[in-house]
Amino acid sequence: MLNDNFLTLILFSLLVAIFFATFYRANFKSGLKSFLKTFLYMVAGSLIFAYFMFWTGK
Amino acid sequence: MGFKDKLKNPYIIALPTLIVPGLSHYLLGKKIRALIFFCVIMLTFFFGLLLNGGIFSLTHGNWLYRLGALAELGLGVPYLVSLIAGINKPTLELISSLMFGYGSTFLITAGLMNMLLMMDAFDIAIGRKVYI
Repeated sequence: MLNDNFLTLILFSLLVAIFFATFYRANFKSGLKSFLKTFLYMVAGSLIFAYFMFWTGK
Repeated sequence: MGFKDKLKNPYIIALPTLIVPGLSHYLLGKKIRALIFFCVIMLTFFFGLLLNGGIFSLTHGNWLYRLGALAELGLGVPYLVSLIAGINKPTLELISSLMFGYGSTFLITAGLMNMLLMMDAFDIAIGRKVYI
């Protein structure tokens, strides 16, 4: 089934970002901004962390 | 005391979320928000099950799994149904599957998000949180 690490990361970030954008924001525009910010920070942060683990594990 | 009066009690209005995620928000009149919450939490839950995440029991021998069970308990009825039906019981076979950790993270997150929804419904009911 779903056994791709990156796809799982995208899916998880997507769901969590939608939740918190809906949870904290009152209108659509600020919600969309919050969603994009959370989603990108989660994906970028995880990739940086993963690269750091890969780099230190060498 | 009628049903509608009971729903005005913030302690009671937080509880329907345990039956269906987002139901408290629906009853508070936040219908679109409730629908989004329902879809997100149920999707997180189902993807967690699909990814072989464990439905932990509070009586498990491992304390870390008991902690996971506490978080998953936040899901309410969907968690209890899965637990009673024995879906994704953390057996050795399930634990050793590749995506067990990811799946469990999805399930734990779904439970914690639902707990947040309960607190949010409480805050809306007492007037502490106002959507402008």
